[in-house]
Amino acid sequence: MDVAGAVRSFIVEYFLFGDDENLNDHTSFIEEAIVDSTGILELVAFVEETFSIRVEDEELIPENLDSISSVERYVSSKMKG
Amino acid sequence: MKLCTSCVLPETFPGIVFDKAGVCNYCRKSLVRKNSSTDLKKKYSDRFLALIAEIREDDRYSQRPYDVIAAYSGGKDSSFTLRVLAIDFQLKVLAMTFNNSFLAPRALENIKNVCTSLKIDHMMVSPSRGILSRAFRNSINADCYPPKALQRASTICNTCMDLIKSLILKTAIEMGIPLISYGWSPGQIPVQSSVMRFNLSMLKQTQGAMKRCVLKIMGEEALPFLLQKRHLDLFSGNTYNISPLAFLEYDERVILNEIGSLGWESPGDTDANSTNCLLNAFANKAHQERFGFHPYAFEIAGLVRGGYMSRETGLKRLSMPVDSGSLKAVSEKLGLSKQ
Repeated sequence: MDVAGAVRSFIVEYFLFGDDENLNDHTSFIEEAIVDSTGILELVAFVEETFSIRVEDEELIPENLDSISSVERYVSSKMKG
Repeated sequence: MKLCTSCVLPETFPGIVFDKAGVCNYCRKSLVRKNSSTDLKKKYSDRFLALIAEIREDDRYSQRPYDVIAAYSGGKDSSFTLRVLAIDFQLKVLAMTFNNSFLAPRALENIKNVCTSLKIDHMMVSPSRGILSRAFRNSINADCYPPKALQRASTICNTCMDLIKSLILKTAIEMGIPLISYGWSPGQIPVQSSVMRFNLSMLKQTQGAMKRCVLKIMGEEALPFLLQKRHLDLFSGNTYNISPLAFLEYDERVILNEIGSLGWESPGDTDANSTNCLLNAFANKAHQERFGFHPYAFEIAGLVRGGYMSRETGLKRLSMPVDSGSLKAVSEKLGLSKQ
């Protein structure tokens, strides 16, 4: 599964409404005001549902969730078990 | 105006696309689904019960005055949330109200009645009306909120909520209260996020972004509301964000019946989408004029999708007329020139 592609599609559609002009794989969702604290919860719900993983409380950190590349790295490592 | 044939979202809603049947992409990809979330709700309800058990086993439990601080607006959902926390879950509750100076008189009465009936402690913070009026006035044309935040609520409500969340979190940290509860409806928050532990590094980052926006709107007048370094230093990492209505059965008739027995009555002077705040109608109108859609459409669409509200009721809530006298009164109170 193309994790990065799925995450990008979700972010562009759900948070940016189709406008991906300033979004690259390393863009910080929080610093660039794409996602706020409630949005992080929505992102977690998407990640859990789409990739069938459980985001543990201690994994709810920017390093795992704050950019397309971060989410890809985190999800890929979770899926490998 | 074209509307989704399944929910209530209009063609002016950001990012909306309709399929051939007129169903919108938000319905097709919703995080809230009708009747498919029963297992998920049970999962998160069980998680909450396990968390409560963990808190009670903590050596510090008996010395801790409160288990949960609950954001309490006086509205129906937060009133029911208090009842659930105090009675169903038998928690030691501190209710906290942010008096934004626009609470309906009946809402203030409801707050007193519900807290008295439930025998829970209540704290109210009433900031200076001048500071709040400036904040709300400046919020009308604020451009610092994430696009998604503006789908969920008006700019004015976003500012108010940021102040509320900061105050609640500060108080929880200062008083060592492990649970923070909000009365979000199932349309406002996905169930997967209803029991979630705060993480310090995520908190720093999201608070930092929120702070920049609020400071832009309020300047230094925002500082007393915001977390300071000492709060982050005090933060233990064992603070949880709880949204009980997302994992419990949500039936508005049941809610109104239960809180009615606590002395709650619906204010007669708020708009169709609020049961506590007189600023709401003005905030909604300003948002609609600026962005072209009703700021409650997102939540109501979620409630319709989740089977908690009929589409007909949802459409009615979004199209109820607003009393122009009320809008004028709010406009004057905010210090705005005649429209």
